[in-house]
Amino acid sequence: MKTNAIKFAAAALLAGLAMSGTAFGQDYPTKPVTVVVPFSAGGPTDTVARLIAEVMSKDLGQQVVVQNVGGAGGTLGAGQVATAADDGYTLLLHHIGMSTAPSLYRSLPYDPQTDFATIGLITSVPMTLVARKDFEPDTLDELIAFVKANGEDITYAHAGIGSASQLCGMLFMEALGTQMTTVPYQGSGPAMTDIIGGQIDLLCDQTTNTTSQIQAGEVKAYAVTTPERLGNLPDLPTTAEAGLPGLQVGVWHGLYAPVGTTPEIIARLGSSLQAALADPTVIERFAELGTVPVSAAEATPAALTEMLTSQTAQWKGIIDAAGIYAE
Amino acid sequence: MDIIASLGLGFSVALDPINIFYCFIGVLLGTLVGVLPGIGPTATIAMLLPITFSLSPTAALIMLAGIYYGAQYGGSTTAILINLPGESSSAVTAIDGYQMARKGRAGAALATAALGSFFAGTVATLLLAFFAPPLARAALNFGAPEYFALIVLGLLVSIALAHGSLLKALGMIVLGLLLGMVGQDIYTGQPRFTFGVRELYSGLNFVSVAVGVFGVAEILRNLESEKGRDVMVKTVTGLWLSKADFRRIIAPVIRGTALGSLLGVLPGGGHILSSFASYSTEKRISKHPEEFGHGAIEGVAGPESANNAAAQTSFIPLLTLGIPAHPVMALMVGAFILQGITPGPNVINDQPALFWGIIASMWIGNVLLVLLNLPLIGLWVKMLSIPYRALFPAIVLFACIGCFSINQNVYDIYAIGFFGIVGYVLIRFGCEPAPLLLGFVLGPLLEEHLRRAMIISRGDPMIFLERPISATLLGLAVLAVVIAALPKFRKKRNEVFVEED
Amino acid sequence: MAINASTKDLVSGGLFVAAGSYFALEALNYDTGTPFRMGPGFMPLLLGGVLVLLGLAVAATGIGKPDKEEQLAPSWRAIVLILGAVAFFGATIRGLGFVPVVLITAFASAMASRLNAPLFSALLAVGLTVLCTLIFKIGLGIGVPLVGPWLGQ
Repeated sequence: MKTNAIKFAAAALLAGLAMSGTAFGQDYPTKPVTVVVPFSAGGPTDTVARLIAEVMSKDLGQQVVVQNVGGAGGTLGAGQVATAADDGYTLLLHHIGMSTAPSLYRSLPYDPQTDFATIGLITSVPMTLVARKDFEPDTLDELIAFVKANGEDITYAHAGIGSASQLCGMLFMEALGTQMTTVPYQGSGPAMTDIIGGQIDLLCDQTTNTTSQIQAGEVKAYAVTTPERLGNLPDLPTTAEAGLPGLQVGVWHGLYAPVGTTPEIIARLGSSLQAALADPTVIERFAELGTVPVSAAEATPAALTEMLTSQTAQWKGIIDAAGIYAE
Repeated sequence: MDIIASLGLGFSVALDPINIFYCFIGVLLGTLVGVLPGIGPTATIAMLLPITFSLSPTAALIMLAGIYYGAQYGGSTTAILINLPGESSSAVTAIDGYQMARKGRAGAALATAALGSFFAGTVATLLLAFFAPPLARAALNFGAPEYFALIVLGLLVSIALAHGSLLKALGMIVLGLLLGMVGQDIYTGQPRFTFGVRELYSGLNFVSVAVGVFGVAEILRNLESEKGRDVMVKTVTGLWLSKADFRRIIAPVIRGTALGSLLGVLPGGGHILSSFASYSTEKRISKHPEEFGHGAIEGVAGPESANNAAAQTSFIPLLTLGIPAHPVMALMVGAFILQGITPGPNVINDQPALFWGIIASMWIGNVLLVLLNLPLIGLWVKMLSIPYRALFPAIVLFACIGCFSINQNVYDIYAIGFFGIVGYVLIRFGCEPAPLLLGFVLGPLLEEHLRRAMIISRGDPMIFLERPISATLLGLAVLAVVIAALPKFRKKRNEVFVEED
Repeated sequence: MAINASTKDLVSGGLFVAAGSYFALEALNYDTGTPFRMGPGFMPLLLGGVLVLLGLAVAATGIGKPDKEEQLAPSWRAIVLILGAVAFFGATIRGLGFVPVVLITAFASAMASRLNAPLFSALLAVGLTVLCTLIFKIGLGIGVPLVGPWLGQ
């Protein structure tokens, strides 16, 4: 029958289309996927990337390789991904620095907002305000009064231009309306060393670096910069509880692909990211770092785009006001 | 727990066949990548991090630690055989080790390096076991002023690195210091001497500079003298040390071990100074300093011991306080965290099996390294019988691939070529590359600590004299200059005056 | 020698002066700051000045003391080929991929020796390529494709 033949042909065509559709989705990935981390291996961002990559490899059926392209405050690796092929085989895992780079670097060779396709948020690492053991103030209230009274006599350590600890310090000083003497270090490790050694007064850094020192009583802790208290530091008040609601900052991490990557590939990577964030080992390791994976609703392109846009605007105001720039 | 019981626990962990196996894999890999020019422990550990996911935390960390100190053994091999140091520490070994190799004594040089390293490793492991926490505490007394004073002392003492003109050596150190300043200023973010190239923002890569001024420059030097025959070492005389050799290396090995152990504990760059400091000391107190630079066995024994001792004791701040002393230790922090252990002061109490297991494994690793390396000496020396014309392209190639694998930065490759020609020109006109490398690694530290000390003191230079440790170190520096350099300067001045008349 | 001076000392002194001047002059573009907060220009300016002085001193010590030993002539062939090979490696490693770049770099540097015939160099290059692929690509898993995007991969 003619109609049957037409129906059959139509069905076959549809089936073929559907199959080619699935085939297209299943085609990717056919070779290892590289995730560029724009910082050196072993750091907190690298750790986040490696934990995620391990699970994504299993989900995608292809090795997800972490590649460290450090330098220039994370802008080198990001710039490399911005110009990479948009075939879904080169991705970028970057943190809060993605939103501060346009304000810190005047001649950035890429635009974080237009040169990348967002895949999803990953986690937001809380920060803690800590001081050397024998620093006078004992609570955040006392600290605020002490900083206001002594201002530039207090030394504030941070891990270098554009680091999370520098950003946190800027926010803290802005919230207090006071300046301290800032002392830059080459990364968090040396800064923490000098806090433990009592060489310097204050530091605000990620829980990745501070938790074990706080637990061991090597440093004095004042507050955590998240809305809720942390599981592994239950006695540490939040900044809001302790009377400084203006100091809210988390080192959020996101996954990006070069702009132009097809929605199918983004969707495939998104589902893989979601799988990784629901993985028990990832959740457990994140907890040890003092953080949790974002909810499934946030591990989406829309949520990351929104975060990037709002944070870029917020940090532009703060950084411009502080008059800090890298070039 | 007392130390003996703790060490017993450590050895019971480290002697587990699986852990011995991974320890062996670690030191073997370390030796191999140490031998391959260009590629060092940093790149290797970074590349192998994913593999360690599937291992138990203890096995993973034992293996990674093994790669690190194994590479210290291997790094001296290429420095001795083909004048190609892969790490700042082996740059010193290259000075006399390579000259020994050219005189046919590569075997003796390699054996000295292996034995010295083993002795140093054993002592440093014991130190680690018995005194890690108090040593780490003591190291925390070092702030920016102390590090600045220490580096000044190191620089002034290390002028002895040169065996030619003192002025040229000083010039090379200052040139090195300046080259170390290329890149983004950490205090202001201002890019310096970068020609607008973003790839240079994080500075010149040490491996590129070292491979350039030592390796490539040496190749260019060797290729100018080939006249129808191969350039290379004379016939190899003996693979092992003579009785006289043994007598000559004992004291340098002990002194090097002591120096290296102490400097290694300092998290702010002490380990970098260890081999340079040991070499300078040996040359200063030697009865025949004129042999240094022409194949003095003490010039291999001291620095190699110092370097290995420092490699072991640089684990002290990491294991007891969770503080990484240098980039490789920062990688180890990452490895700990990936394994679900946050390194910090509590590791020793919360994870005693891991803590003591790693310490015990270091000693076992050192035994394995000696067992592995002594038989290999014969093989390495045979490698010298490979015609040079087949060897040098491999050196160029390994250097390029190794450097590229560290950061995937092509400017690291261009830097090899640039410093190859710069090194070649400078060596042709009588300047030696070792002081330049010393300046290069210390330049950023010198500036960083000076500026930080001045910020902390609010611009008052008296901070260097008010703090006892830095005052002592600066006093020693002045003393070193007065005692050692004064007669030389006077003699030199007289010569100049005589000739100008 | 026409001049009564050490060429070695004059040239190395001159190189120090040139390098020192470059660093010092370029450092003038950067902020020197105050003793409290030293700027990025402070140390390079100081050290550049010191290097210029040292260079002058080195050159001065060479006056009246001609070099004793004769230098071998530089091998221009080696300089050009080896530096060329290194530059080629850097310029093409991303585009051409591991195998072609290693092969060509090895061949070019092997040809830097007058003793190496083209056939020997080619064989050596092939051998080294196999060796390097085994060590770096298979053994260590270096993140460079075997054949790069320029060759349609």
